[in-house]
Amino acid sequence: MKLFNPHDPRHLLTSALLVLAFLIPFVIGSNLYYLTILILMLIFIIYASAWNFLTFSGQGSLGHAAFFGLGGYAASLMAVKLGLPPLVTLLFGGCFAALIGVLIGLTCVRLREWFLAMVTFGFAVIIQTLIVSQLAPVTGGWDGFPVPKLVPPSFPGYLMIEYYLVLLIAIVIILIFRYLLQSRIGLALAAIRENEVEARAAGINPVPFKLFAFGVSAFVTGIAGSLEIFHFGYITPEIFGIDLSFWPIIYSITGGLGTLAGPIVGTIVVTLLWDGLNSLGLTYARFIIIGVLLVLIIIFLPRGLVSLPDEIKKRLKKRRS
Amino acid sequence: MDGTIGILSQVAFWGLYSGCIYILLATGLNLIFGVMKIVNFAHGEFLMLGTYITFFLFVISGFNPYVLLVGSIPILIIVGVIVERLCFRPILGTGKLNEIFISLGLIYIFQNLVALIWTDEWRSMRSPFADILINLGPLQLPLDYLIIITVTAMILVSLYLFLQKTALGRAIRAASQNRRGAMLMGVNVERVDMLTFGIGAGLAGAAGTLWAVSGQVFNPYMGSIPAIKGFAIIILGGLGSIPGAIIGGLAIGMVENFTAFTLGGSWKDAVSFILLIVVLVIRPTGLFGEAEE
Amino acid sequence: MKRESVLFVFLAICLTFLLLSSGCTEQQPSGDGGEVRIGVVASMTGAASTTGKDIWQSAELAAEEINAKGGIYVKELGRSVPVRLVQGDDESTREGGQKAVSKLITQDKVDVLVGGYSSAVVSAHQAIVAEYRVPYIISGGSSTSVSHRNDIDTSYMFFHRPNTDDSGEASILFVDEVVRPALIGKFGFSEDRPLKLAVIYQDSPFGKGQLDAVKNVIAARNLRIEIIAEEPFKMGESDFRTVLTSVKAKNPDMIYSVTFLNELVPMTQQARRDVGLNTLILAIENNDDPDYYKGVGVYGDGQVMESRFSPYAVPRGSTEMATRQFLANFDKKYGGFAGMMGAATYESVYITKEAIEKAGSLDKAKVRDALATLSMPQMMEIMKGGVISFSPDFRESKFDLYVVQLAMDQASGEPRPFIVWPDNLKDREFVVPDWYSPGSS
Repeated sequence: MKLFNPHDPRHLLTSALLVLAFLIPFVIGSNLYYLTILILMLIFIIYASAWNFLTFSGQGSLGHAAFFGLGGYAASLMAVKLGLPPLVTLLFGGCFAALIGVLIGLTCVRLREWFLAMVTFGFAVIIQTLIVSQLAPVTGGWDGFPVPKLVPPSFPGYLMIEYYLVLLIAIVIILIFRYLLQSRIGLALAAIRENEVEARAAGINPVPFKLFAFGVSAFVTGIAGSLEIFHFGYITPEIFGIDLSFWPIIYSITGGLGTLAGPIVGTIVVTLLWDGLNSLGLTYARFIIIGVLLVLIIIFLPRGLVSLPDEIKKRLKKRRS
Repeated sequence: MDGTIGILSQVAFWGLYSGCIYILLATGLNLIFGVMKIVNFAHGEFLMLGTYITFFLFVISGFNPYVLLVGSIPILIIVGVIVERLCFRPILGTGKLNEIFISLGLIYIFQNLVALIWTDEWRSMRSPFADILINLGPLQLPLDYLIIITVTAMILVSLYLFLQKTALGRAIRAASQNRRGAMLMGVNVERVDMLTFGIGAGLAGAAGTLWAVSGQVFNPYMGSIPAIKGFAIIILGGLGSIPGAIIGGLAIGMVENFTAFTLGGSWKDAVSFILLIVVLVIRPTGLFGEAEE
Repeated sequence: MKRESVLFVFLAICLTFLLLSSGCTEQQPSGDGGEVRIGVVASMTGAASTTGKDIWQSAELAAEEINAKGGIYVKELGRSVPVRLVQGDDESTREGGQKAVSKLITQDKVDVLVGGYSSAVVSAHQAIVAEYRVPYIISGGSSTSVSHRNDIDTSYMFFHRPNTDDSGEASILFVDEVVRPALIGKFGFSEDRPLKLAVIYQDSPFGKGQLDAVKNVIAARNLRIEIIAEEPFKMGESDFRTVLTSVKAKNPDMIYSVTFLNELVPMTQQARRDVGLNTLILAIENNDDPDYYKGVGVYGDGQVMESRFSPYAVPRGSTEMATRQFLANFDKKYGGFAGMMGAATYESVYITKEAIEKAGSLDKAKVRDALATLSMPQMMEIMKGGVISFSPDFRESKFDLYVVQLAMDQASGEPRPFIVWPDNLKDREFVVPDWYSPGSS
């Protein structure tokens, strides 16, 4: 496996994107607004990639906000109660989310897709209820609690440092996903996704692989959740909201399900579109446009925006012949 | 006040009432699932459209709102047919979760279209029978709830008769039991799909009318949670089984209200999902679901 | 192939939007002191959009009035400059709020921020405001967890709203001073019988905060009020029948409800009609809205509500003219009534004007200092001592809250509110409604 091949246009594009990501604060200026948008965008790229990783195993989730929030709560409680630096507790947040993810996965691996979607959705509702009722003495209930920032604001240019930290984390995570998918695990996951019965016949036991996918996805989602909270500096149970479960789905589908680049492209395009429509003063129409885009892409471009160049090439070829 | 029995039977009655709404939603979902093997997560938006259509027909015409079922059901059938034709037919037989994803898009479109046209303020209406109370043993109940329960029963009976006695109904049942077989027998399954989806949407529309008439408030975002619960019900009751949907709907209505009574209102939504997860851990195919396909 | 072109056309349109909009955000003139820029943080979309519109429109009204009279006089510039409002839509989410506020601060370079509604949304962007030191007059975020934060520097944040403790205290004092004696008088209870109160509250920071405040007031003042039930419900609930049945079984003398308007309307109807719970329901200030009176209809007759700004019950005195003028102007411009949040935001814009003129400068630190020592006459909402000023500890303004009781108005077919407490403001005496039945003794 070669990390960089100058003759592969996809590699060139990726490297161009990377260079852009590193230079962008210098190009557009390191002001608060741009950095806020960029950091949130990166966090959602991580989140959407984690959600998308689950679909590689043929599973899906409608309640990933559960892991997003659990990661956030675990990491911030750890940071507040033990006074550990956020960068350390981040990992703890991920691990906690992964643990719960595997437990949920245990019930889910035997379920059909629709059931799985329901269980995950319901799980997010249950967790939020728990956090604000029975667990309120620890979690602060609806009031939430303040959390230290990823980089203390007393540092000069702390937001810039935060941006590069999140960028680095995002790159590492995507490289790990890339490695996993090209390894034998990735092949097994693909086999299970395409046809579980045949995979079984070929001697692959789907259960540990599906659990693994669930655990990894929950782990990375938990990290994304912790990052968001350490960025905001305050945690409230709104982190389990339904909209937070749906955004990674929208990003991944728009970009391209089951591709590594899909969630990245999807997050960038949809966020820019969203903020753009916002500054045009569109309110409800914004949601309608996103909804229509989603429906059109599912029907006409099932492999998402990343497949657009191929589709255009195909069309041109057809016209020529 | 004759003590606990009176209170418990009153809570059970509220369970029965909220069960009616769930039954209409779940029956529609199950009918659609039976024939098309898809799940429409945007089903709650049909419920929401039903409440709005009832509200505006009521404001314009001033008719008795129960009569407006004659308006809300056909309009929703047409909406359902259009949605099936434009959105669900093109993805039939593609990726496993595509129908869930497309429903997400539909949810955004419907909710915000309604908000754009009619604003997203909460609305409510009042039934002309609002002041009439009926004495039933220890309970004193508003007439409206008795009408709502009767209307639900009537709708279910007519649906049963339609499925059993008419040619179209038989075609739906045939397609539901064996799609390919029905196709071979000359049933136009695409038409059956469209019709079934329409009927499902119509049932949700009827639920919308009943929701509005009972004096409950509504806004463009009110449909999602009832619909998701409707889906939990059909998993509990067994996918494709209409008696299952009725029993499941009643069960969820009861469980929710008794939970609100004992654990408190904040657990009302969560408890349906806890029940669902527990059932699925024990029986991955649902309570009355058939074994693996 | 035709089908795919639909998608391409759509994508092309989206792309155009993208380019257009990114162009839009670039063209902000730099702050040269030619105008006073006020950023309005409002939920124009999402769950709180009804309130958001109210906030934005009221701010617009205030800005227009100020500009019509020549703007704000800034001593340093030696002239009056107009006000320009910049809208920041927080989308009713934490992420949206952070984007909106950072855009207002760095792109639009606003001098002052006003608005802010949901506590969760405000808490997620407070840190930015603290860091960039922009004066922020917050008219929402009623939870004390927002205003009493000590992990960040909140010295630039000013809270122009009663917090949950304030409104809880006013309501409970009314219950103790008026309702309890009235019940004792009417039903011949013994003097030491505690009033049995059931609390039905929204499961949210708002509801939880009120519940705590009620408990604290009762304990601190050692009042003869006993809380016999605490029933939470999910935000947006419309079916309270079971919760009310359970409350009825406990025989309360009164219900303290912490709700949004869309919850109070079905709750009141279901209590009186469906469950036959003939008891008083005390509601909280945010429900004092024309939609409540319209929605609740005949079932609202005799009910009580704590309030600070009412569309129908305008307290007599120095604020009456200003309130009637505001309501009339709002109706003329937008059609309809302004709500409590709108009124507070309208005042916030005027508070900004006062502070800038007092500071004589647009310098943020000077404006902040002017706000901290501000003392301006009350405008529409009645303030403690008749002046708007911010407390030295957490910079919260102090309101004189009142309680209204509803009575049916035959002409409109809706109930109308009348102030019954405190004594210096009241239009009428509180009466125990005919249909009321107390809890068992």
